[in-house]
Amino acid sequence: MAPEDKTEGSGSGRPPTVGGAHTLAANYLLTPKSHQRTDSSYSRNYSLLDIYGTESPLEEGTALPERGLDASIMKELDRLDFHDTDNSLTLDEPEIASPITIAFDRKSQIQPISPDNIDGLLKSPYDRYGFKKASAHHSTTKEEYNEWFKEYSQYSLRRKKKWLLLMKSNGLGLDNDNAIPTRFPPKSDKVKKMIRRGIPAEWRGNAWFFYAGGNEKLNKHVGVYDRIVKDTAEVQNKDTEVIERDLNRTFPDNIYFNDMLGADPGSSSTTINTDSLPTAETGMIKCLRRVLVAFAHYQPQIGYCQSLNFLAGLLLLFMEEEKAFWMLVILTERIIPKVHSANLEGVHTDQGVLMLCVKEYIPQLWSILGKTFEGETLSEDKILTRLPPVTLVTSSWFMSLFVGILPIETALRVWDILWYEGSKTIFRISLTICKMCLDNPEFQKARGTSGGGAEMDQIELFQFMQNFPKIILDPNFLVDNCFKKIGGYGFGSLPQDEINNCREFVSKQRSKLNSKKTSSLATELTDEERKTLISSSGSSYNDEDGSIHDVYGFHRSIMSGVVWNKNMSNKMKKKFSKRLK
Amino acid sequence: MSQGNFAQFKLVLLGESAVGKSSIVHRFVKNTFDDMRESTIGAAFLTQSITLPESKTTIKFEIWDTAGQERYKSLAPMYYRNANAALCVYDITSKASLIKAQDWIKELKKQAPEGIVISLVGNKSDLTENREVEEGEVDEYIRQMTEDGSVIITSECSAKTGDGVLDIFNKIGRALPVEEAVGGNRSRQAGRRPGGVDLGRTNRQQTQSSSCC
Repeated sequence: MAPEDKTEGSGSGRPPTVGGAHTLAANYLLTPKSHQRTDSSYSRNYSLLDIYGTESPLEEGTALPERGLDASIMKELDRLDFHDTDNSLTLDEPEIASPITIAFDRKSQIQPISPDNIDGLLKSPYDRYGFKKASAHHSTTKEEYNEWFKEYSQYSLRRKKKWLLLMKSNGLGLDNDNAIPTRFPPKSDKVKKMIRRGIPAEWRGNAWFFYAGGNEKLNKHVGVYDRIVKDTAEVQNKDTEVIERDLNRTFPDNIYFNDMLGADPGSSSTTINTDSLPTAETGMIKCLRRVLVAFAHYQPQIGYCQSLNFLAGLLLLFMEEEKAFWMLVILTERIIPKVHSANLEGVHTDQGVLMLCVKEYIPQLWSILGKTFEGETLSEDKILTRLPPVTLVTSSWFMSLFVGILPIETALRVWDILWYEGSKTIFRISLTICKMCLDNPEFQKARGTSGGGAEMDQIELFQFMQNFPKIILDPNFLVDNCFKKIGGYGFGSLPQDEINNCREFVSKQRSKLNSKKTSSLATELTDEERKTLISSSGSSYNDEDGSIHDVYGFHRSIMSGVVWNKNMSNKMKKKFSKRLK
Repeated sequence: MSQGNFAQFKLVLLGESAVGKSSIVHRFVKNTFDDMRESTIGAAFLTQSITLPESKTTIKFEIWDTAGQERYKSLAPMYYRNANAALCVYDITSKASLIKAQDWIKELKKQAPEGIVISLVGNKSDLTENREVEEGEVDEYIRQMTEDGSVIITSECSAKTGDGVLDIFNKIGRALPVEEAVGGNRSRQAGRRPGGVDLGRTNRQQTQSSSCC
């Protein structure tokens, strides 16, 4: 492997950078001495399981036990979340930082905002994360960006001051205001509120890692990442093929990922002749390749799935690659299990959950979107067998966790909350976006163009919902709508329990159906055939005959006779009715 | 523009990842090109209209752009359900991508609504030096596939230069059953969404997909 270029980020026209991504070469140099790892850390005669630890769900498990695990973890987190005011409940930060933390600890990639550099940041064509401000992708101009950033940078400065105070009051005071903490206060209502208002950008990597349980994960797997990287250096397979194709399609608007930007900052629709230029690969792209290849190897039941490139890419802007790797593992094991798996089962499950939530909590939107392509209204018992097509829009929210969906700062604010509060965040934010769509006059307009034929113009609505999140430039608008006690939508109180139970329910139903799946996915039945099938299978969902072809398929009333989740939704309903009074 | 007819059709793009599906769409819809475009996650929806001068018909394409990776295939039926046209895209510098495009055609023939207009499009025609698929190479394959009397439109284009892109959509527009639909002869075909066409909305103002990103 070629030695890495350590001079990345020094080109002209770039925002000031701090440190480069740590290099594999350096990593290997440091490893034997500073980590003092012995051979016993890993077996020489290894199987995948032996060497990479037994924690990884390498075997193709069934959905349910894992869901159960997930549920119990999330319950535990929730308990901490809501009731933990006791400082002794510090999360898994070891007293002595692990050798790895020390060896790899470096300043964050992200420059802190200070009153001195705001002007510079306003002048630069790039934001402080290296993304182009004027993005065709987000339909924002540099002027619009700056107008927002002028205010938001002041907000950020105020938040940073509050964070410094919070750290101090938790005995975690920093030597100076520019130091980057590696330990954070234990979870509490106070901290939760602080997180929801945003973590200082330069602290983000460490804070995410800390609250997601990254240290614990890393300490259990000392040296594993290096080992995998070594093992996979020469690997070539289907996954690596797709990864290669996606590397340069990951954040092409970001100077850390796209070397050509530094040379020609202004262009958005470029006409640079790439044929003649050997595309220079940034150090970041090399990191991204290693992380994605290692991940595909470590989680073979997932391998590589498009969208992981954006997740890993964003993590890499905020932390070194080993940590980014473990965060990806935590995410796919605990937070959104199976969403990226080979059959995308988790996507279907979570979309089922989301749709049930929309139906329950935004019935007005459901009455518009809860339809099939043919405009037929979906009855409750068909939601899981025939997800409405709008889920083609919302599924990408779950796969890329709003990266590329929301403007970058807004997505980052969601990530702050996600790593601290868990997967309910994705549902809460998704519901908030849905409600914001519905409340937008343009949405009603898009709806109006249909001239009545709703089935005709679902595409207009999809387009609207697809593009709407991109204009939420101000993160506080979204976060307040979600979480604000007064004036917010109330989705901030959607409990993790409800999500977990609903996920379990949907996933159980789906695995029942899948196990009965007999014929090809795309077979279409006529209405008559469907009627026959339904009447022959009776109204009981545990009837054994019949076959479900796909979640977007059709024709089996699995939920008839099932009163969906009544108890739990009552909790929310009460809250909602209070709000309305 | 004088009085004309209006018809709306659903068009889906299929093909291996990174062959340039989204780039073709963006060239067609916005007349722009990015050398490096982000991978499409899930699906993207756009609309664009063309007018066929000979029939004075405005055709609005509902474009369903899809993610190319194999595992997204489980969503494919959702995409081509009710589709009136499909663009199976390959990259002329990759033979493997042609095979993938042909697989899509096979699947469409088996599963998609009857009467769907299929086209096989070779993108990146500007990259002549790296060409792996010769222009005439697909002819024999097409001959075999169309022995049953069906039609497959073949074409090459470059989303980068814009060469041939509009042409594809014009060809598809002409192949779509516009006349039949405009003539009000709307027999509901199996699997096709009822009424791709609405006579009541002739000469409707088209907002040229201004709501897109």
